[in-house]
Amino acid sequence: MNAIDTAIRAAASSIALKGVTKSYDAAHQVIPPMDAEFRAGEFTVVLGPSGCGKSTLLQMIAGLERVSGGAIVIGGREVQNLEPKHRGCAMVFQNYALYPHMSVFDNVAYSLKVAGMPKPERIERVEAVARMLGLSELLARRPSQLSGGQRQRVAIGRAIVREPGVLLFDEPLSNLDAQLRHDMRLELADLHRRIGATTAFVTHDQVEAMTLADRILILNKGRIEQFDTPKAIYHRPASVFVAKFIGSPPMNVLPVTGDGSVLRLADGQVVVEAPLNGNFVLGIRPEDIVFGTGGPLKARLRYREDLGSHSVLAADLAGEVVRVATPFGVDIAEATDLSLSFPQARLHLFDAATGRALPGAIGAQ
Amino acid sequence: MVENAHSLNIAASLVLLLGITYILGPLYLTFATASQSYEYLLRSGLAWIPGDQLFNNIARIFTETRIPLQMLNSLLVALSQAVATCALSFLAAYAIVGFRARWAGVVFALILATIMLPLDIRVITTYQVASNVLAPVNWLLDATGLNGVIGEVFGAPLHLEWSVLNTHFGFIAPLVAHGTGTFLFCQFFRTLPADLFKAARMDGAGPVRFMFDILLPLARTPFAALFVLTFLSGWTQYLWPLVASSTPDMQTAVVGLARLSPDTDGAVPDFPLIMAGALIVSIIPLAMIALLQRYLVRGLVLSEK
Repeated sequence: MNAIDTAIRAAASSIALKGVTKSYDAAHQVIPPMDAEFRAGEFTVVLGPSGCGKSTLLQMIAGLERVSGGAIVIGGREVQNLEPKHRGCAMVFQNYALYPHMSVFDNVAYSLKVAGMPKPERIERVEAVARMLGLSELLARRPSQLSGGQRQRVAIGRAIVREPGVLLFDEPLSNLDAQLRHDMRLELADLHRRIGATTAFVTHDQVEAMTLADRILILNKGRIEQFDTPKAIYHRPASVFVAKFIGSPPMNVLPVTGDGSVLRLADGQVVVEAPLNGNFVLGIRPEDIVFGTGGPLKARLRYREDLGSHSVLAADLAGEVVRVATPFGVDIAEATDLSLSFPQARLHLFDAATGRALPGAIGAQ
Repeated sequence: MVENAHSLNIAASLVLLLGITYILGPLYLTFATASQSYEYLLRSGLAWIPGDQLFNNIARIFTETRIPLQMLNSLLVALSQAVATCALSFLAAYAIVGFRARWAGVVFALILATIMLPLDIRVITTYQVASNVLAPVNWLLDATGLNGVIGEVFGAPLHLEWSVLNTHFGFIAPLVAHGTGTFLFCQFFRTLPADLFKAARMDGAGPVRFMFDILLPLARTPFAALFVLTFLSGWTQYLWPLVASSTPDMQTAVVGLARLSPDTDGAVPDFPLIMAGALIVSIIPLAMIALLQRYLVRGLVLSEK
């Protein structure tokens, strides 16, 4: 561990959002009042589909967008009216946003130069960061002479050289190819383990979220759907939106009706016994469906995808498409009838009107 | 393109050859005339063959005419105009693209509209303004009734007068605002990633610092292109310096060149002398293009690398 690690670990600050809102015009709120806390030293991923307001949220924390209301508290200090440079945040951008006419050294050192740090100290800091990120050999190069992964590392170096209390990432991996994205993900996880900076990481990629995050904040149309650990989000989704958003393939959701003793699918098949009345949404993960002879539910296989490690069957069940994950190479032809059963312990039940989970009603919750 | 490549090549070469003749022909004639004596010209009309009087004629330009002094005028005017135009266009474009100003679109459209109003169209009104730059202030004083008050208090109404005619400043100022230049910089700034502005803000650089540290070095190529373009147009500008200058010592070289032909009717102008002058006056813009032509092409194409 060197000086930079220690300094950043010491500087790590929490971020508290208190009733933060954003609207561009009176009629439409991009982000309705939001409360959340990003704990100091944690890696928090903000996950959501495009247009859900996650980048706006990040830019409000950074100070690049003004808040329309509410307060942002970083390390115990209200910052919503401060300039970005006074907030103690640093940011890594999607397109790296390196200064094309400056060398790697100058890119990393620029913020220190603007802050008026004396040159010898500047050189020392930049070299320490370069060693940490494996950039020492590249300091004299221009960004155009670097590979995508190297540029990404320079962008990270530029962010951490100021020893910020908060490190912000705006979809930093989405411009990389699949292999590089995987490598960078490991590097980022490793970096976070070493420097322990409070990190807010915006992405629409659930794999990035699941692998990197201490906690995931799932955003839908500016609202928080769920803010929890990856494990909890996967196993106890708080809403239909989360259930359908996480997992590959995602959770199957089926409308069911309760008559006080059993829950039935739209075509009348009984899924499970439960003393519930009214309309609900039933969720079950593809890998939790038991597939084989003798199951109570009749479905018809539509097509199959063999993925090497396993196969995914898509079947018609009561007018909906249900995906079933099975071991690879199950010997079954398309357009045949299947028997499925849904283990009760694996079922998730959601309110049909609000989409929120109903914990304790049946099964997994 | 694949078949018939041969005949196509011949046709293209012919067209090019025609174009070259069209451009080089008059240049050759200029050179040939400049190297003959006035007497030769009077005797045999157009000079198709170069003679031996070239250096003699050039020496006469330096001893008998004001062209050298006027070239200094031209240099001063063209350089100042190029520098001022670049600076103004750069700042205007930064204001339009870099800040989310409410009326940026309208302002940009108005600036573009000035391309359709070159000085040649508005030369009379420009002359009126240049002959008294403070005329609008006088009008304002009259219109608001302030002059009545001033007249009662001080005994006479205020009438301000400041003419910039026959000054270098007067030659430069009306030509500095340049719609094309602003357009060029605007388009260039729009090719820069928007995150660059944000990254600089995160690094603590304000708008002015960002302009000097990031924008200016990046805009080197369009800068050079616009500089060459405005320098050339400033150097060859004819109408405005002709109208705005009243003494030979203030005239620019292109105007001075035209004034070399006598005003008296019937006299044959000293064409060898004039053509020698033309050769001398062309040297500066020619050198400019030779030195900076790669920037000219790159800046107008607007592609990096």
